[in-house]
Amino acid sequence: MTDDTYRQGTYRRSEQEPPEPRPIADGVVSRFEHVLEVDPTLMRHFGQQKQPAWDTKRIVDSRWEHLRWMHDHFADEVLVAGEESETGAE
Amino acid sequence: MATKPKSDTRYDPRADGQLQEEFVEKWRDNAYGCFSSGHKFCREVCPVMQVTRNENHSPTAFHANIVAMEQGQVSVEDVADDYVHCTQCGACELRCPNTLFTGDFYRHRTETVKVVRAMRALMVDKGLDRQNWQVWNRLTDELKNEPVLGVGDGQPNGQEHVRDWADGLDIPVGGETIMFVDCEAAFYRTSIPRATAQILQKAGVPFGLMREQWCCGGPAAEMGYVEQSRAFAEHNVADWRAVGAKRIIAIEPHDYIHFTEDYPAYFGESFDFEVIQILELVAELIRDGRLKLERPIDRVVTYHDPCRLNKRKGIYEAPREILRAIPGLTFKDIDHVTQWSYCSGGGGGLPIEKPEIAAEISRQRLGRAAELEVDTLVSACVWSERPLAAAGSDVGIEVLDLIELVAEAAGIEAGGREGA
Amino acid sequence: MVTALDESVVEELGGILGDDDGVLTNVTSRAMRARVPAPFPVHRWFEYMPQVVVLPRTAEQVSEIVKFANRHRIPVVPRAGGTGLADGAVPLRGGIMVDIKRMSEIKEIDLVNRTVTVGPGINMLKLNEQLRKHGVMYPDDPASYPCSLVGGRIGTGGWSLLGARYGHTRDLVVSMQVVLPTGEIVDIGDGGGRKLRKSSTGLNLKQLFTGHQGTLGITTEATLELVPRAECEFAAFFAFDDYMKAHLTTGTLARSGLATLAGVVLFDERKLAYLRRDDEAYIPQPDWVVSAVAATLYGTRAEVEPASKRVMELGRSAGGKYVGDEISWGDWASRHDRYATPLHGRLPSGEVVPMCWHCEDAALTYSELPKVREEWHAIVQRYIDEYGIFDDWGMFAYTNGAYKPWGDYLVEIDVGIWEEKLNDETWAGWVNLKREIAEVSLRHGGSITACHGATRVGDAELVPTEMGTAWEVVKRVKRALDPNNIMNPGKQMLDQAYVSTDGEGSG
Repeated sequence: MTDDTYRQGTYRRSEQEPPEPRPIADGVVSRFEHVLEVDPTLMRHFGQQKQPAWDTKRIVDSRWEHLRWMHDHFADEVLVAGEESETGAE
Repeated sequence: MATKPKSDTRYDPRADGQLQEEFVEKWRDNAYGCFSSGHKFCREVCPVMQVTRNENHSPTAFHANIVAMEQGQVSVEDVADDYVHCTQCGACELRCPNTLFTGDFYRHRTETVKVVRAMRALMVDKGLDRQNWQVWNRLTDELKNEPVLGVGDGQPNGQEHVRDWADGLDIPVGGETIMFVDCEAAFYRTSIPRATAQILQKAGVPFGLMREQWCCGGPAAEMGYVEQSRAFAEHNVADWRAVGAKRIIAIEPHDYIHFTEDYPAYFGESFDFEVIQILELVAELIRDGRLKLERPIDRVVTYHDPCRLNKRKGIYEAPREILRAIPGLTFKDIDHVTQWSYCSGGGGGLPIEKPEIAAEISRQRLGRAAELEVDTLVSACVWSERPLAAAGSDVGIEVLDLIELVAEAAGIEAGGREGA
Repeated sequence: MVTALDESVVEELGGILGDDDGVLTNVTSRAMRARVPAPFPVHRWFEYMPQVVVLPRTAEQVSEIVKFANRHRIPVVPRAGGTGLADGAVPLRGGIMVDIKRMSEIKEIDLVNRTVTVGPGINMLKLNEQLRKHGVMYPDDPASYPCSLVGGRIGTGGWSLLGARYGHTRDLVVSMQVVLPTGEIVDIGDGGGRKLRKSSTGLNLKQLFTGHQGTLGITTEATLELVPRAECEFAAFFAFDDYMKAHLTTGTLARSGLATLAGVVLFDERKLAYLRRDDEAYIPQPDWVVSAVAATLYGTRAEVEPASKRVMELGRSAGGKYVGDEISWGDWASRHDRYATPLHGRLPSGEVVPMCWHCEDAALTYSELPKVREEWHAIVQRYIDEYGIFDDWGMFAYTNGAYKPWGDYLVEIDVGIWEEKLNDETWAGWVNLKREIAEVSLRHGGSITACHGATRVGDAELVPTEMGTAWEVVKRVKRALDPNNIMNPGKQMLDQAYVSTDGEGSG
């Protein structure tokens, strides 16, 4: 999860270029912390878009908000086990 | 079975010239990105679909039509009317799992707004643009501002009157920070720019106005008049440079979109202005104690998330922070994710071509507000407020702009008028 | 290309619909209603168009349209959301498409007798947004929950991700109003009362009119069950280093006897491998994680909280490792959205191409799951090797029985198809692939469709085989209710109902 408090109401074009990707796993890279992306070399048949940083952050934030909403839509309270991962993944 | 069949003339894209082939080539990935799924998560959040229930007005159809054009089975003329039915609110492209779940992973999201705008531009190129949009944009070109007061005799339209709203406020022209005032605020609902200006003055934020303020060019882009949009953008940026501006305060969500999406696309790296959305600035001023809200306002309100702030930009917390800071208000909220499917119907030129659909969208929005038993619906987008207010008067709910409330709570008598 | 209908026909339809813009003949209106999300022969799109589209608002209009269709022997194809996965709403013979999306009102909410009555064109998520303030919900929750419509759920006999707890569509529809293939408007329920859940009067017709895939009529109104909004929801995901341990755990959880259990989901090895491509929950998982099981609970806190402890015990009882709160929370809430993204598609080279998602939906008993998985993957691999435009997205198995999670499973193999490369040859290959997969299900005592419907080529040919001795009864019912074979003709081999015993056909 990103705990970014990115301010969507302030725009500077110079801040929109995403950082260079670093490899994470087979076919997967990362530019922003906690945000995974496809290895661009796999996107030969289908183009990638110029996605400014604000848009990436909007998508990630919206996804978490949507998931919260979906839980709340079906039940008043969400229980989880209250335990950490036993698989060692983040 | 059926009686005698009609003969259908097959459409030949090659006979149509380059325009359609280029268009299809450019938007092919977008088209197949949707068409290969076709799961229509967009449909129930689309404000137009909620009214017409006609699948041709769905974002799915907007993309599928392009595949059909590629196959040479439909022409631009066949599909043109579908693309009129859109406010460009962005609900569809955000809700689409191709954006929401994998848009960041693949650096490829659903871009329905761009697709609709591109099709409308193609329609203009082919002389298929809609009559009312033609008139509206021609008048905009003549006036250099949108004809929001109509063009009857004596309407104070155009550049001579673009700063009339600021009478008595002593706002300088030029400076490092420019407040950009959109056409609806400058001419129609002048309480908003007056309230905004006086809030900034009270909080000690220096700013000035443009020498010549033309329309931002956004509506032209939304309706397909790309050249006009670009020309207006060039004029505005030239004006900003001429007065040494570094920061532009966008008081209106449509402008914030255009300055952060279209203008950078037009000007590339040379677009080096900082663009500020007014609500973020006001929230900061309140948080920092530079703007004190001490006069209580006795209203029961709910907030309308403007599409171009919430869905298109992810700005939904600042306005709520502001509302919670206004003393005396009872604030009954509807969360911003539920509001992905809400709209006023005011955007994308819809009220100009399909006023009955736009009005019904607003009517449904006020219906949701009425369920909460409020006396006021607060928006933060002046373009939404005209259709919402019209619907509000039918159900006894007043429609106000958030900035108007902030000004009142800050003890400011904004002044200004609505309409001509 | 399917041609448009004659002017006079269109005029008469216009007369039935009134001045509304309810009769659409232009090419895009017809083209946009030719397909559903299931893989589609794009290169032959225009063979599947209706000849005219009507958007009625009332049952009376639907009735008049259907009567008219009978008089002129024009096929009728009902279409709700058009979000089905088995071509139920795809016209095979042109005809009049009856698109019911405008019949989307909430007509009555009865909180005393716990029903809500709606038009068939309403979406369940939008309905539940309105029901929330009353503390109730209509818990029919398929993957298409945000976009499918009540009428289509009834037509397909839908399956719900919460089925073990709340039942599926057929358990949640109390009664309905149907326009028969001959045009009469009839009320179908349990006995004669609209809000009764159980009766033994007359013949029990309700299940007949659920899951008929639009071949026995058009639902024009439905009275639905209202359940109390769940106080509490719980989800837990467990990871395994071995599929068989996961399979064992699935059964253990399904037989747990926990009344709040909404479902158990088993992810096989290929599914994990697929999720590692682009799912942030699975990419970071260590290599030993090859299979997974998810279990969910809904109910009051007093029930769910203690039951959740039991789920944690059982989930770990065969070596399962808890994947953690964040993933359990996030993955369950993503349940509608993870499936259909075209960019899940990969060529054998690993490159990304947009693929259309085919979801097989067999119903199989627990004992058959491991073997079917081996056979299915082997089949898909053969076709990947031969045609190069298919992709194996792995398998899920979900508890299938309403309120009875311990018996059979909705078993899904997700196959990606690079749709834009389809031509007659690859389409034929695709149809063969589907048929081979379906045949495996039958060989293992299963059903070729738990919920989507057998209305697609590649499945439909096997319907008589699967129905076996019941097929004769099916044909008699179809012919009795639809003497002119106008209601969604050509689907599910039901044309056979019109073939006389000496082999001469009609319809």
